[in-house]
Amino acid sequence: MHSTRHGWKWLLSAPALVVLVLAASGPLLIVLVYSFLTPGNMGGVAWVPTGEAWFRVFFKRDLFEPDVITWNDANLMVLWRSVWLSLQTTVICAVLGFPTAWFIATRPPTNRPFWLFLITIPFWTNILIRTFAIQEMIRNNGTLNTLLDWLGLISAPLDLLFTDFAILLGMAYVFLPLMVLPLYAAMEKLDFRLVEAAYDLYASRRRALWHVILPMVKPGFIAGSILVFIPAIGSYVTPRVLGGGRTMMLGNLIALQFGQGRNWPLGAALSVMLLVIVTAALVLYLRTVSKESGGPRG
Amino acid sequence: MSAEIEISGLSKVFGQGAGAFHALSGIDLTIETGEFFTLLGPSGCGKTTLLRMIAGFEQPTAGTLRINGEEVAGKGPNARPVNTVFQNYALFPHMSVRDNIGFGLKMLGRPRAEVAATVDEMLRLVRMEAMATRKPSELSGGQQQRVALARALAPRPRMLLLDEPLSALDLKLRKEMQSELKRLQIETGITFVFVTHDQEEALTMSDRIAVMNAGRILQLGTPHEIYNTPSDRFVAGFIGDTNVLSLAVASSGGDGVTLAVPGAGALPAASPAGLTLLVGQTVTAVVRPEQARLCPLAEADLTATLEQTVFFGTDTHLHLRLADGQGFILRRQNAADEVDPAPGDRLGLRLARGALRVLKD
Repeated sequence: MHSTRHGWKWLLSAPALVVLVLAASGPLLIVLVYSFLTPGNMGGVAWVPTGEAWFRVFFKRDLFEPDVITWNDANLMVLWRSVWLSLQTTVICAVLGFPTAWFIATRPPTNRPFWLFLITIPFWTNILIRTFAIQEMIRNNGTLNTLLDWLGLISAPLDLLFTDFAILLGMAYVFLPLMVLPLYAAMEKLDFRLVEAAYDLYASRRRALWHVILPMVKPGFIAGSILVFIPAIGSYVTPRVLGGGRTMMLGNLIALQFGQGRNWPLGAALSVMLLVIVTAALVLYLRTVSKESGGPRG
Repeated sequence: MSAEIEISGLSKVFGQGAGAFHALSGIDLTIETGEFFTLLGPSGCGKTTLLRMIAGFEQPTAGTLRINGEEVAGKGPNARPVNTVFQNYALFPHMSVRDNIGFGLKMLGRPRAEVAATVDEMLRLVRMEAMATRKPSELSGGQQQRVALARALAPRPRMLLLDEPLSALDLKLRKEMQSELKRLQIETGITFVFVTHDQEEALTMSDRIAVMNAGRILQLGTPHEIYNTPSDRFVAGFIGDTNVLSLAVASSGGDGVTLAVPGAGALPAASPAGLTLLVGQTVTAVVRPEQARLCPLAEADLTATLEQTVFFGTDTHLHLRLADGQGFILRRQNAADEVDPAPGDRLGLRLARGALRVLKD
């Protein structure tokens, strides 16, 4: 009787297990295996095991003298740019998100849903459309340059499109709600009497912000940073549309290997690299969180 | 003694126009240095608003507020030499007990060694040395209370403001903290301004009490004055238990007032100075339940019928009915050899001298 019931319980979790194995672990495993195979002639893979793809993530051989090995600076540059642009995006979102979330959290409770609604509107619009809208705004004959020209502030159009700046602008715009929402959630729970207590104990506004408000909304910052950084580093559409072909990020490089490059193992190895970076970021996050809440809570 | 706080004509209005709420109207008040001063009143009477104005969290709509002779209007809480113990303590959850207590001194820019020494002293003062490294969430309510006190006392304010600090504690702990607070106040010599709705708390701890209702101070005085000579019906009803009777004036003249008591005769009553009473006029009079005692019928000031007895441990309340139907409660201290009368018995009551008081309505 008892064991039967136990068996049933196990069965109830079967759908979740199937999803986990087939949809998450399975594909990951395939990617991992592919990264150790040889590229097929017309794409795909040939089942010949080799470490060549992983070698090529980091190094390259001289075209004429295969024994001369140098760093693959093109790949490493893309890797570095992805991490760097994503970190910058996270910081920009945090700086813009904090006052935004603070504004919403300090409105009367009845008005807050309206402001939150405004923040989430972009979520319901296709990312391609939003990104092309930004392209339209910052291109040479676009809205921004026309406006600046009309105001007489510039004599020649600013080259904004297809730069790192354009990618940053696009990513900050796309991911800002992901920072605002967790920050808002943390601020909504903030006990404003603690801020009063800080004022009462001779803290200036700035020091109350630094010593009381920021530490209290830190979990919101951490959650928001993770939510922004992870999709940012895997971005494909934004760097593709706003960076043109000139400025590539990891997502574009991976897509290139699976597409025109016809080097699936290299694409797979780069995907695993991306996964490693994301996992490292998550581990860092979990460490910080467990350190924060160390000790029992009453 | 010198005046620590001088308040005159202080008003606070929240909102505007028809929806405006007058939280405080025309408060005049002087609080002396080193006294334990209590603002007592029901919730919504304005006592917390008054405290928050002294602290600097609210700015007055009209009137002046001086702390130590200096007008403080427009100054924020961080520019006033007062500290607050908040109702729910408001301890910083991300800081240890030690960091919480040292916060004020750190913000004042005191040297690190001085902060550490003062924090140690405060930990000793509130007997929390063993908990210094804990976070507030790891403390019981009573311990959090002590930390909140230590945190507010550490910068050595001229004045400590306490906003119903004991209301979240259970009864036993509350009694302990009452004497603890009183001890701290005497040891530190700091002026305490204490807000409470608990009349017993106010009576046991205060040097002086201001009884408030609907944004005004109704009576200002020592606990004895407030309890024994309440100025009006609200104060009499709010402080302690009391029997409120409607009685007719039997005589009024140079040798005092007497009131006609049903089924008895006329009894002498104390009345506030300046109140003119006409013979035959019905007035409100009060008698504290412990200021009447049972006596043989022949010696009685008045007689009543017992309806019910309620046992409270140390004493028993006798619910009586006077001849004209008015209720009367008598509190009798329990003694082992006494037998309680039975419901239905006709009992004689004798009032203590000055127990019967006429009130302004």
